Formats: sequence, C-alpha cells, structure tokens
Amino acid sequence: MIRRVSTIAVHTFKEAARERVLYNLVVFALLMIGASILMSHISVGIEEVVVINLGLSSISVFGLLMAIFIGIGLVYKEIDRRTIYSILSKPVYRWEFIVGKYAGLCLTILINTLIMTVGFYLALFYQTRHISRADLQPLGAVYFILLELALVVGVAIFFSSVSTPVLSAAFTFCIYVIGHFLSEIRFLGQASKTAVVEKVTAFLYYVLPNFGDFDVISRTAHGHGVSQDLLVANTLYALLYIAVLLSATILIFEQREFK
Amino acid sequence: MSPSASAKYSGNYLRAVWWALLLGALAALVPVQNRIDGVRGLYGPIEDVLYMPSGRIIGELSLGNEGLLADIYWTRVVQYFGRKRLAKDVRLDLLGPLLRITTELDPHLLIAYRFGAVFLSAKPPEGAGHPEKALELLRRGIVANPDYWRLWQDLGFVYYWDLKEYAQAVKAFRVGSQQPGAQVWMKAIAAMVATKGGDPETSKLLWTQIYHSAQNDQMRENALEHLAALTAHQQLGYLDDLLDRFRAREGRPAHSLRDLVKAGLLRGIPVDPGGVPYVIGKDGRAALGPQSNVKLRLLL
Repeated sequence: MIRRVSTIAVHTFKEAARERVLYNLVVFALLMIGASILMSHISVGIEEVVVINLGLSSISVFGLLMAIFIGIGLVYKEIDRRTIYSILSKPVYRWEFIVGKYAGLCLTILINTLIMTVGFYLALFYQTRHISRADLQPLGAVYFILLELALVVGVAIFFSSVSTPVLSAAFTFCIYVIGHFLSEIRFLGQASKTAVVEKVTAFLYYVLPNFGDFDVISRTAHGHGVSQDLLVANTLYALLYIAVLLSATILIFEQREFK
Repeated sequence: MSPSASAKYSGNYLRAVWWALLLGALAALVPVQNRIDGVRGLYGPIEDVLYMPSGRIIGELSLGNEGLLADIYWTRVVQYFGRKRLAKDVRLDLLGPLLRITTELDPHLLIAYRFGAVFLSAKPPEGAGHPEKALELLRRGIVANPDYWRLWQDLGFVYYWDLKEYAQAVKAFRVGSQQPGAQVWMKAIAAMVATKGGDPETSKLLWTQIYHSAQNDQMRENALEHLAALTAHQQLGYLDDLLDRFRAREGRPAHSLRDLVKAGLLRGIPVDPGGVPYVIGKDGRAALGPQSNVKLRLLL
C-alpha cells in the first residue's frame, strides 16, 4: 500500500517539476525576496522587519499560487487525458490514487518552499551581515506557511475531483480568502445580536478552514516567537482538516464512474 | 463469500472508514480551534501594533482608493473598540492612531470624528481617556468640514464634560450655533453653560442631544448610560434630602426606605433608571441596589 502511494506521489512530483509555471513562480518569488532588500533601504529603522515581512509574504503568496495552479489540475488532468483508466486498471485503490497525488504535490510545495526559504535567509544575511539564533524565529512562520499550503492543496484537490480547473481555482481562492476572514465573520455574527446569524457564523467558523490561525508573519517580523502550544494546536488542526478534505475527496471520487 | 460479494463488502467497509474519518476529524476540529483561539487570544484579536502609522502614506499606496481604505480602517476602529470592550481590556492605545489614519484617508468621514470625540475623551474603561487627542481630532474635522455644526457641538462637549473648561465650551457652542443648519438649542446650551456651569440639567440636555444624533449603537448606548447615571445621581440627592427630613422629624435615622413610605414621605420604594430599587447604604445615605447596572462612576 505504502509503495503504491509513494510511487504515485513520486510520479506526481516529477510531473509537477516539469511544469514551467512552477519555475516562473519560484523565480518571481526569489526576485520579490531580493526586492525586499531594496524596500528595506527606503524605510528607516525597520530594515530587518521589511526584509522578513516581504520575504515571508512572498513565500506565502507564491506558495499559494503554486498550490492552486498545480493542485487544480491534479485529478482533472488524469481524467481529461484519460490516463486515469490505465492507472485504475492496475491494482491501485482509488483512495491510494488521491492520497498519492496529494502527497506528491505536498512534496513539490515543500521543496519549493525550502528553495524560497534559502533565498529569504540569503536576503536576510545580506541585510544584517549575520544570522543569529533570534533570526531563526521566521522558521516558525515558514512552518505555518507550509501547513497553510498543505491545507490549500487539500482544498484544490477536493475541487479538482468535482469540477473544471478554472472553477476549481476560483473556488479554492475564494475559500482561501474567506478562511482569512473567519474571525471577522464570527465577530460580526456576535455583534449582530441575532441568534440565527450568530449560529450560522459560528458554524462557518468551525466548518471552513481557518487560514487566519497560521498568520504569524507580522509577529515573527517583530521578534516574537511562535509558542509551543500554537505549534502543536495548529499542526493538529491542519492534520484534522486535511483528513476531512481527503476523506471527502475520496468519498466523491469513489462514486465517480469513468466511461 | 463470492469474489464479487467480497469486493462489495470491502468497498462498503472502506466507505464507512472514510465517512468515520471525515465526521470524526470534523468534530475534533472544534476543540482544536477553541484551543488555538485560547492561545492566540479572542478570535485572534487585532494586535496593538500599527505597521503603517501614516494615513497619507497609506493613501499614496492605495493608488486612488483612499475612500475604500478609509472604510476598511473605520471598520477596524469599530472592531478594535468592540473587541476591547468584549475582552474588558481598558487599554485603547490604538484608538487614536486608527481614527487619525481613517480621517486622513477620508477627511469627510464625519462619524469617525464624532465617535472619536466620545470614546477618545471618555475615561477608561469606557474610553481611552485622552480628551486632548479628541480635541485635536475634532479641530482637524472642523477644518475639513467647516459647515458641519455638530463637530462644534462635540468640541464644546469635550470641553464641558471631560475637561470641565466651561468658558471654552461656551465659546465652541456659540461658534457652532452660528454655523449653517445649527439647531437653536445650541445657543440655549451655550447660555446654560455660561450661567450654570456643569449642572445636571445641562449635562442631561447635552447627552440627550448626543443620543438623538448618534449614528451607531455604541454611541447611543454610551449616551443612555450617562443619562441613567445623571438621573440616578439626581434621584439619590433627592432621597438623601428625604432621609434628612425623616431624621429631623422622627429623631432617628431611617433603617430602610420603607420607613420613608410609612412616614408618608414617599409613595412607594423608588427604583433607579434600570428598574432596580434604591436602598440605604451603610453610611445611612441613599444608594443604588446591589443588582443595579447604573454606572455612577461615569460622573466622576
């Protein structure tokens, strides 16, 4: 079972590595990270803060674009090109196919994030001329970005199994945006003092992926570390939500008939 | 079991496993999210940090969308204030800077000046306790909106209520009364403050005007709380007079307000504006009942 999943994952990774858009995004991300050095010279007194903010935001934004653009085609392409028939005719369970695809894209995202993180630390080193223990604080934010991207890949693969790439991209992006405003939505529900609105917003708060949980870039830029508690809770949250997304995707994919 | 039946059984079994995983993980998300909320604070509150302290720079960066950004900042003001209240946090360090950015982005956003006049100047925990910042905000508002007489009313009010500078308050009310569209009671208030200073009737009249012209619930609620406190303060003074009369007539202090009723000084046990009966305190003077919601500290 593990061998079959890992074979699909490695194949997915190789396929993603052939995508030109991936390299374009990585280059743009590295350029943005490099530009943070220029930006830091314009601002007075917060040079390092600017490099960290812009660097981590670039990793997050370009990681998001990679997750969406590659994630949305994962399942759909296999169906569109009819390669799904040859895969499923082999002794491979459908859930192994989905989990393998998911793992392959996560691996792609992981490697690209590592490349961007190296670029980020090079920019930081150029700016500060040293890397101290305190400068490792942004790694906590990078870890949260990775968890966030793993969730985005889950959302993208879910939509990819039920819809076209364009619609999947739109849905995934919408979920991402809404997921960043969930605490505001819940707060507005409470402020409305209407029981129904309050319950609906509370329901959305728990059911939709709360991407705001992973937002620690600003804190990190100001030298605040990520607490152990938050590290554990966010990891658990991401794992649970990924389990929800993959289960839902598998249940839908199991029902599909390929003719 | 035949191969097809076995495959069907295995398929059903797997489906049940995925459903169990989906529902189980979904249910487990609730306590985990609550834990994250606990670690990050109440629903990830807005941190007391402003990364862009200048409304002008934000305006430049908005590429012509200052109005939209002002609306977003105004929303942030309301949320910041609401959340601080919800969390019973008395520090409102960001209220002034947020209002300044909002009004720098849109100098005609009148509600921001009026909101700031009340809550920047009010003492903690009701406000930020910075009447000087409220005055600065209002003066900028008056420069940007010279025809809007209500800002003069608010300026006079901050001088009157928070700073007790009655001469300055009279001046502001008088200038405001000369602005186009100003209501006649502005002149009357100017005269009342000039002759009586900070007496309760003038204060009630001012808070009533603020209540009627308030544009959001927080401001209305705040005005009502002040009106209730002023009314209760007046009623307590009246009850103290009755207690003195009772002592003079009976030669002993009253043990409860029922004594005043029995002596014919009161027709019934009086209640405060929230409907809670008044009592006699340990010092023998009239006091609010233990269940009362009236905030007399607003008058200090």
